[in-house]
Amino acid sequence: MNIGFIGLGLMGRPMALHLARAGHNLHLWARRPASLEPFTEVNAKVHASPAELAKHVEIVFTMVADAPDVQAVTLGENGIAAGASRGLIVVDMSTINPNAAREIGVALAERGIEFVDAPVSGGETGAINAALTIMAGGKPEVFETVRPLFEKMGKSVTLVGDSGAGQVAKACNQILTGVGVAAVAEAFNFATQSGVDAARVREALLGGFAYSRILENHGQRMLDRNFKPGFKAWMHQKDLRIVMEEAHRLGLMLPAAAATAQLFNAIVGSGMGEDDSIAALKLLEKISKPE
Amino acid sequence: MKIGFIGLGGMGRPMVEHLLTAGHQVTVWSRRADAADPLLALGAQRSANPGELAAASDVVCTNVTGNADVVGLAGMMLEGLAPNGIHVDFSTIAPSVARDIAARYAACGRHFVDAPVSGGTAGARAATLSIMWGGKPEFAARLEPIFRCLGKTIVRVGEAGAGQVAKACNQLVMVAAIEASAEAARLAKAAGVDFAKVRAAMLGGSAGSRVLDFFGGKMAEREFAAGVEARLHHKDFVMVMAEATRMGVPLPVSGAVMQQLDALMAAGWGTQDTSRLLCVLEKTTANPSTI
Repeated sequence: MNIGFIGLGLMGRPMALHLARAGHNLHLWARRPASLEPFTEVNAKVHASPAELAKHVEIVFTMVADAPDVQAVTLGENGIAAGASRGLIVVDMSTINPNAAREIGVALAERGIEFVDAPVSGGETGAINAALTIMAGGKPEVFETVRPLFEKMGKSVTLVGDSGAGQVAKACNQILTGVGVAAVAEAFNFATQSGVDAARVREALLGGFAYSRILENHGQRMLDRNFKPGFKAWMHQKDLRIVMEEAHRLGLMLPAAAATAQLFNAIVGSGMGEDDSIAALKLLEKISKPE
Repeated sequence: MKIGFIGLGGMGRPMVEHLLTAGHQVTVWSRRADAADPLLALGAQRSANPGELAAASDVVCTNVTGNADVVGLAGMMLEGLAPNGIHVDFSTIAPSVARDIAARYAACGRHFVDAPVSGGTAGARAATLSIMWGGKPEFAARLEPIFRCLGKTIVRVGEAGAGQVAKACNQLVMVAAIEASAEAARLAKAAGVDFAKVRAAMLGGSAGSRVLDFFGGKMAEREFAAGVEARLHHKDFVMVMAEATRMGVPLPVSGAVMQQLDALMAAGWGTQDTSRLLCVLEKTTANPSTI
């Protein structure tokens, strides 16, 4: 199958490579030529614009930073819509505002283009190991067409509902992971400040009701003081901003997410945005220190 | 009237001076004997202990720090106080503790009135305090002459404990406004705008408030010497949040403000002014040029 892929960063690159290895013909476009280098070994054709790319494929995946980027590559000048024929399927795997996703879906539908929002969870490791969790929103028959490709990139693939539903699921995912990381960081700082070994606390808690994958994995990285990003703090800040934007649009109270969003503002404001989300611990330690 | 007074700190001392000036007979006791010395020179009598002070007074007043101080003094004075005598407590303590003490006094045919004040040391010196009291309406005749020497706004809020409830509300509104002023100051500075000008503009509009005027002024001047020490606001918040939790009343803004006060204490700024909340926000910036 001829497949387009736009957005070849930390996440997109390994995802696209999985599709190429499965025997598909990749069609690529990238703002920065450097992003294309890893693809010289595989069967990939580079195009001059998303519009040009769209002329050659049945399905195009996008994996970019935020809603304006998705907007630009789909509906912007020389965007996918400008070159697409009716029936093309656009699958956006970026994390963006659910409402923005719905609006892009509607605008593409007016041109006879199908749209699926399919954000992922699992980070770079998940992308490299083809072990992502993929949560999709769109028409069931379109989802079924894309499903075999999703299964080359992820382990858990779910159609959550109509257009935008995937992004709602991702927003929920980011509430849980954001609040979860903040909770583990708070617990560890609390233990340390109380003169108790956080490693022993983690060990004790892993067997109980507070067990979570975040306590296990992020907790271990906090103890190792390994702040190298799996998932960068500024991206989590962005995702929580999306969550809060949606909450404001709906007039919905999300007190724990709101507090966590402020914590991530502080992490990024402190210059730790390029660290992993677990920099939450460093921030709390900094605030706990006397001046 | 024969008045006993315990608690001769920044608030208590000027209050005793006003009572003496008004011609009341005032007996004082303090843990540190030298705290009473300046008042003896103005005509106050010294008592050897709280019990003796209670026996020599129609009304005893206390203005101390926390729940435990008031409970302890009540225990020492209850026996000594004449039947129908009144203990007026100006301290800020938990409403439930004030109610318990009032019940103990009532069971012995004595009375307890909670009469916390607002206005700080400046208000105490100028005799312009706001006094919010809880107790039986018939106490008013005996207490008004005392209250009028000390404050301008005197309100009987309700039965025992009602004064402390009013004071708790007072603290929530005031410190949240200090935090809001700090956040405005931080935002203005980070955006490259002079907060002194922003404050001046706001004072004339809907956001104008005494807090923005006073604490906002201190923030603009970066003058952090204490009027009321921040640790006292912190103590009040700990108490209010405990009461709210006991009653199952959600206070989301206060919960967030409590965290900022905790960070202020951790920074070692407890004996400075609560306008230090600005510096708590500044701790989480990587760019010193915006401070």
